[in-house]
This record gives sequence, C-alpha cells and structure tokens, in this order.
Amino acid sequence: MVELQLKGRDIDDPSALRAMATVPRHRFVPERLQSQAYLDFPLPIGFGQTISQPYIVAYMTQAIHPEPHHRVLEIGTGSGYQAAVLAELVEQVFTIEIVPELAESAGRRLRGLGYDKVVTREGDGYHGWPDAAPFDAIVVTAAAEFIPPPLLQQLKDGGRMIIPVGSPFHVQHLTLVEKKEGRITTRLLLPVRFVPLRRAK
Amino acid sequence: MNSQEHPLLRLHLALFLLSAGLIGFQLEQMQLLALLQWHHFAYLVISVALLGFGAAGTCLALFREALLRHLPLLLPLLLYGCALTMAIALPVLQGTVQNFDIGLLLVDPLQAGMLLLAQAVCLLIFFLGALPLGLLFVSHSSRIGSLYCANLVGSGVGAIGTVVLMYFLLPQQLPGLTALLCWLAGLLVTPARRFWPLLAAALSLSLIAAAVTHSPALKPSQYKAISRTLDLPGARIVQNQPGPQGLIQMVTAPNLRYAPGLSLTYSEEVPETRSALFLNGDWFGAVLKNGGPLLDASVSALPYTIIGKPARVLILEAGAGTDVIQAVHRGAARVTAVEQQRKALELAMADYGQEVAGPLARSSVRFAYLSPRTWLALDRELYDLITLPVVGTFGGSAGLFAMQEQYLLTRESFAAIWDHLSPDGLLRVSSWLDSPARNPLRLAATLAETLAAVGVDPAGHVAAVQGWDMITFVVKRSPFTPAEIEQIRAFCKQLQFDPVLPPGVQPEERQRYHFSADHAFPEHLAGLFSERQRQRLYQRYPFNLQPVSDNRPFFSQFLRWRDIPRIFRLMGERALPFLELGYVLVLLSFGQMIAAAGLLILVPLLRLGLPGEKGVPRWIIPYFSGLGLGYMFFEIVMIHELVLYFGHPIIAAAAVIGSLLFFSGLGSLSSARLPALFSGHALAAALITVLLLLYNFLLQPLLQQTIALPDAWKTLVFLALIAPPAFVMGMPFPLGLARLAESNKSQAAWAWGINGSVSVVSTGLAAIIAVELGYSAALLLAAAAYGLAAASGYADGKTA
Repeated sequence: MVELQLKGRDIDDPSALRAMATVPRHRFVPERLQSQAYLDFPLPIGFGQTISQPYIVAYMTQAIHPEPHHRVLEIGTGSGYQAAVLAELVEQVFTIEIVPELAESAGRRLRGLGYDKVVTREGDGYHGWPDAAPFDAIVVTAAAEFIPPPLLQQLKDGGRMIIPVGSPFHVQHLTLVEKKEGRITTRLLLPVRFVPLRRAK
Repeated sequence: MNSQEHPLLRLHLALFLLSAGLIGFQLEQMQLLALLQWHHFAYLVISVALLGFGAAGTCLALFREALLRHLPLLLPLLLYGCALTMAIALPVLQGTVQNFDIGLLLVDPLQAGMLLLAQAVCLLIFFLGALPLGLLFVSHSSRIGSLYCANLVGSGVGAIGTVVLMYFLLPQQLPGLTALLCWLAGLLVTPARRFWPLLAAALSLSLIAAAVTHSPALKPSQYKAISRTLDLPGARIVQNQPGPQGLIQMVTAPNLRYAPGLSLTYSEEVPETRSALFLNGDWFGAVLKNGGPLLDASVSALPYTIIGKPARVLILEAGAGTDVIQAVHRGAARVTAVEQQRKALELAMADYGQEVAGPLARSSVRFAYLSPRTWLALDRELYDLITLPVVGTFGGSAGLFAMQEQYLLTRESFAAIWDHLSPDGLLRVSSWLDSPARNPLRLAATLAETLAAVGVDPAGHVAAVQGWDMITFVVKRSPFTPAEIEQIRAFCKQLQFDPVLPPGVQPEERQRYHFSADHAFPEHLAGLFSERQRQRLYQRYPFNLQPVSDNRPFFSQFLRWRDIPRIFRLMGERALPFLELGYVLVLLSFGQMIAAAGLLILVPLLRLGLPGEKGVPRWIIPYFSGLGLGYMFFEIVMIHELVLYFGHPIIAAAAVIGSLLFFSGLGSLSSARLPALFSGHALAAALITVLLLLYNFLLQPLLQQTIALPDAWKTLVFLALIAPPAFVMGMPFPLGLARLAESNKSQAAWAWGINGSVSVVSTGLAAIIAVELGYSAALLLAAAAYGLAAASGYADGKTA
C-alpha cells in the first residue's frame, strides 16, 4: 500500500509513511471487506460513514505536520484508523465520536491493538475537549457546514486544523485551517495531482 | 375463452383495474426510489416497465396458442402473481435497495448484483401485469376497441388517482393499494368453482394483507442526509407529511447545529437547531434557534450591509424559512416568501412559533406556495432584494444531481429576476465552493451573460465575497457606488471574508484569508465578466461552464465528452468522481436496456424468422421503430415542459402519461372508423411529423404566455395542446398492424417487438439527447422519427 499508493504521489513525509506502514488497516474495516482493506478506496463502516482511503489518511496526517510532542484532537473517530495512525506519531490523541455504536467499537478496537496514547470519548464534537485543550492540531473527519467556534478556540496559536470536505466516497478537497496571531486563514487542498489551469489571457 | 365465461363488463373492469394498478405502481416506484436512493432511478423504472411490456409481447407472440389454451387458469394466476409481487417487493427488496451503495457501483460487483436484483423483481412485476393485458386483447380481438379504451382510461385514472393518493398515504402504503387493484382484477376473471384459482386468490390476498400490515418503516440509504441525522443520539422523526412531490419529514436531534457560511471570527455559541426538514431523505432546511446573530455573521448577510433595511424582499425557494428569518431580523418592511413545498414551510414556521411571531407580523410576511418561476411569471412587483437558495451541495455530490432540472438557475430565470429588481435592487445568490471550481464559475458566467444580454456592463454590477466554504454573489441593478464598495470591504474585514469581485478590488485583496486550491480561481471568476475572457475560459476550462437554459436546465452537469481525457490527465485515477454519477447511471442503464431489449424482446423473435424473410416485410423496421422512438421522445419532452409549467415533477409525469395514453387511445379507436382516404399508415405518421415540427416553434411560447394563469386554466391549455398530437399518435400503430393483418402472425410479433425495444431504449436516449443537445432537439428528433415512419410507410404503399 505504502509503496504503490503513497510514495511517488505527494506523500513524502517519512514519519507519515512509517505510521501508515505500521498500522494494520485490515483490523479497522468490517470483516467482510478485509480483503479490500489495502486498496486505495474508502470502505463503508456503517452509519453512513466510511474509513477514508489510505491516501487521504496519509495526506491529512502529513498536512498537520505532526511532531512527537503534539497533542492532537480528532472529531469523528469512525473506525479509529486515523487516530491509530496519528498515535504512531504524536504524544497523545483525543478522539470524539457522536454515534454511540461507532464510539464503542472503535474504543474497544484501539484498546485491543494497544493504542494507549489514544483517549476516546462518546459525545458531540462541537464542544471539542476543553479539559485537554489547547491542541497542536485538530483533525475533523466528520465535516459540517461550519467550523465550531470552540474548536477554533481550542487550537493553539500556530496550530493546524484539517477538514476533509466531500461525500462519503469522494473527498472533494481538504480545508487546512491555520491560526496565527488571531488571524484565521483557510486553504483548500486538492488531494490530486491537479495542475492549476493556465490563465485565460 | 369466450365472453360467456367472463361477462364483458367484468372483463372491461378487470382491464381498467389492472391498467390503473400498473401505471400507479410505476409512479409509486419512481417516488419510492427517489426516497430510498436518488431521483435518477426514475429513468430505470420507466425503462424496466417498458421492458416488461415488451418481453410480455414477445412471450405472447411465441407461445400464443399454449397461453390461450390455458387462459381461464392462467389469467387469474398471472394477476394474483402480479398483485402479490407488487405487495411484497418493498418488504423483500428494501434491504437490497437500502444497502445499495451507489459510490461502490464501479468497484464492487455485489452492488451491481443488488441493482440487477431490484431491476429483475421490478421487471417480473411488469411482465406479470403486461401478459394478461396482451392475452385479453388477443383473446377478445373482436372487442379490441372497447378493451383498449378500458386499458387507456384505466391508465389515465390510475395516474391521476395515484397522485391524489400520494397526498394522503405514505410511500410505503401505496404499493399495497395498487396490488389490491390487480388482485381485484384477478378476482373478476376467476372462474367460479375452480379450485386452483380460488386457492390462489385466498393465498395471495392473505399474503398481500400480511405485507401491507407488516410493511417495514422506510429506511433510506445510509448515505442520505436523513439517515445520517437519525444516527445522532436522541434524534427522532416528529412529522411525516406525504405528498406527490415527495415525503417531507421533520427531525429533532439534540446535537444538530446549522450555520452555513459562518465567519471563522464568530466566537459565540452556535445553538442547536429546533428541528431539521428533509424532502425525500435529502436535506431541505433547518429551523434555527435564535438564528439572527448567526446569520449576521455569515456571507449571506452581504446584501444587508449594502442596502440596510430593505422595503421589499422576495425570497425564492424559501425552504425552511432561514432567509425569511434573516430578512425580518434585518428589519425588512415587507417580505414575500415563495416556496413550492407548502407543508415543509408551514411546519418550519409553526416550529419557529412565538420566537418569530412578532418580527413576522412587523415585516408583513406573505407566503406564496408555488414554483418560483411561476411566481416570477405572474408577479409584477419590484423588489429591493431578491434571494435565491444556495447553489450546489456542501462537499459536492460527485455528480449525483447532474440530471436534475434546475429551472431557477437558467438564463431565462435570471432574466426574469433582473426584471423584478427595483432601480437600486439587489439579487443575492450563494454557492458552496467546490474543487475544481464549477458551481461558482457557472453561476458567475450566468450572471455575466444575463447582464450582458440586457445591455449592462456586468463588471460594475456584480460583487462577490468568499468565506471558507461558501461564496456569495450580489448583483445590483444600478452600478455599485464607491461608498458601497467600501461597505463591502469593511464587511469583509470585520468577518475575515475575502472580497473577490467588487469592481475595483485589487488582486492582492482577493485571497487574504481563504485560498483556493486552484490559484487562478479569483482570476477566472473576474475574467468571466469580460466577454473575450469569458469565451476563452469556456473553451479552455476542463469542465463546461456555460450558463444553462430552460432547454437544457441541467445546472449541475459540467462534464464534456471531449474533456474526459484531459480530466484524467489532470487528476489521474481520482478523476472518476468527476464523471458525474447521475449521468453515468443514465448512460449505463441505456447500455443495459439496449442489451436487455435485444435479449428479452428481439432475440426470441428470431425463431419466427427475420424481417425480410418468410414474408416479413423490411419496412416494418423503420416504421415501427420510428413510432416507438417518436412517441417516447414526445412523452419525455412534454414531461419536461410540464415540470416548468406546473412546477411538480410527479404531477407533470402523471399528467403527461395519463393524458397521452388517454388521447392516443381515442385516436386508436377512431383509426378503424376513418374514411379510407385518411386511414393510410404513412399519412398518419406524416401528420404527426408536421404537428411536432409546428410544436417545436409554438409549444414553448404558448406555455410561457400562459404560465401565470390559474391552475384550472393551465390544465385546459395543457389538454388543448397535448390532445391533437396525442390523438393522431394513437393511429399509426393500429393502422400499421392492420396493414399486416392479412399475413402471418410473425409480422405482428415483429412489429410489437421492434416498437417495444425501441421504446425501452428511448427513455434513456431522450435523457442523453436532452443533456447533450437540449429538449428542443429531442422534439425535432421525435418529428424526424415519425418522418422516417411516414417515409417507410409511403415506400410500402408504393411497393404494394
């Protein structure tokens, strides 16, 4: 997966590649789809949610510039895969899932695989995790039409937030939010080798 | 079987009930699939229904003697079978339809299997219903006129009756009712004192009753907005309002918040919504709690910073009333809210209750429950602000809505809106941002061309402001003043939005806070307001950005065939989602229907010999395929015209299908009684050609002139328009068959088969033609198809 789908595209952060190679992705997908776990395609995990394709997980991981001392908040645990990948790279991952069934199964799975750095919680991601704030990075895997103000407040100055935007089977673009000296900027990132169009002169 | 066995009245009644049941079931399936999945499955339902009819015709041609021999037993059994499968299809198939993942269709064979299974069951139902129809016609050929009449009147009543019932019954309750109609038809033809048919009647009735009483609650696809909302803890449906335009559902969920276009500087609590409304499982709107401050901090507030307190505001497609709340919150003196979905808006306003009762009364809000285009046609008032709903879908839809007709976003619509602006009036329309940009660019192109068409330089009249996920355009009837441009700049500075388009904005101002993936996006946007650059961008952009018209109202369809290799070059393997699933599905089903029509209708007929052999004349191929294609194309074009005219897709479909069948039936009946001079099969087809060519020029202007009339008058206009061609269209088929009457049965079988197969593929083909060339081209092709039929009929006459 790493050799074929990530290297050679624009995933070049060695630590992100290492994390992707370490986490057993097949343990995070439903049993009947395990044979397809390492294909570069999102897979359904129930409740209208998907486990993102490996490339998007790697892209998001790389986009937040994870450091070993970082504390990262994830909104939308889903299967727990993104949290596991992050746990390979940072000090601690806090992850919140609103669908009780998903929160319960992801928590069990992460504990079973020994991801002690991941703290899971069932609840509404809108409020973030005030007790553990501030965060060096926030990953919002369940995007809404607005960015909850508490999340922006819990993001450290200089911190990065990444939000995939799109339908379940097609991440159309990623929004990278950066907070610097009270100024919040966003940048749309297109997870394809898209050559910007030449100007229409 | 003879008439003594089944008294004629009972036969006619059975035929009437069966026809009503079959057409009703077709409409119900279209609505059910729109709810469980998405609306483009409607094409599949029509094609599969026609395929069932075609396959039944072929079966009848091949096994006529055997079938007729066992008719007394077969007829009721087929009808009970049809009724039973209708009733149990939903409970049995719901799991399949619900779990079908359209996003996985191209990579998971299981998905294709699920789709095929659902189609096969649907095909079986229509086959079981169509075969008795054919058998009744064949076995009582001396009564064909009145039986045909019962068939067509039944279809018409079934279509209209189903639409009426849709107001009162939930979508899952309707198939049970139509199944009962078919069951009653079976009972009417069940011979007395025959054990097996009576046992079948009792058994099927008990199973139908069980299916109806135990019909499961509908569960739309897990990817539909309502399913995802209902997954939230504590979420529940508090209202279900059925209607022909779809099922409206109100959901309350403790954790649901909604604030589209909200500034990232907003630091207050975003309150939970009171409720959310869904139409056919798709997001319709939210009922906000204390929404005023939220809306002040969103890109949608832009026009209010320019205009202050508008005197008159027109809100087109008011949805769940968010724009109404914003207008009254900003002190509008008079607000007109136009919304077709009356029940949804009423539910939303009732839920707002006392919170907005005062402001609503102060602002003198009036509601108009009709389509926005109809309102624009009949209203003569001028407005200081006109608002449109947000264009596109948050996060994109992977082309799911490529085949959706969006008449509010056409050139003609924007021209009408422009005419309703007061001298300094503003139009506001927002779009979700997508990547690569398509919706905002097409919207900008539409605004630019609308203004250019009325002789206004668009550059001085359009401003746009961009947030992190949404862009809002404001069009001003008079040019923006320098003071207004400064107001826009101040609005952007305060809320950290980017002013992308005010006249005079500097390039460095355009992307201060929010940066696009394509750095050239702001330049492209600005370039669209210069004629020369606009044309160049149309040519060079890898998606079609040209504005859409009423003739091709597919705003969300951006794909051009010639760009496909380029898109793959630009995006590599991730280009697939940009191929627009809605359109891809129509193309796939078109290919599938060609294969299915060939396999199920034409190949079996080879046993009877090919046209041109064994006395089967060659002219029947162009003649009967021309009739099939022309008829279906005319039907699809008329449904399209009526969607705009009446504003309701299902009502349009029911009105067209019902009236077309009814008048064609009268035409068929009359064809046998016409004087010899008028009864030539070529002449009838030629007459239709002329009529359709005439309609190509007259139809749209006539409908546009009368769109503002009351519904009753509009219905009369519609009937007066559809009756003449529909009446004549009923003639060429029986006249062509009569021409073959004296020869062997293979000829008639081939005629039915060719006509049936072409009809099956014409539904998809008409949709493809509409997207690629427009509906007027489809009407011209219908005329050409009848022209072909006329020419081949004429050639036949010469050789005879």
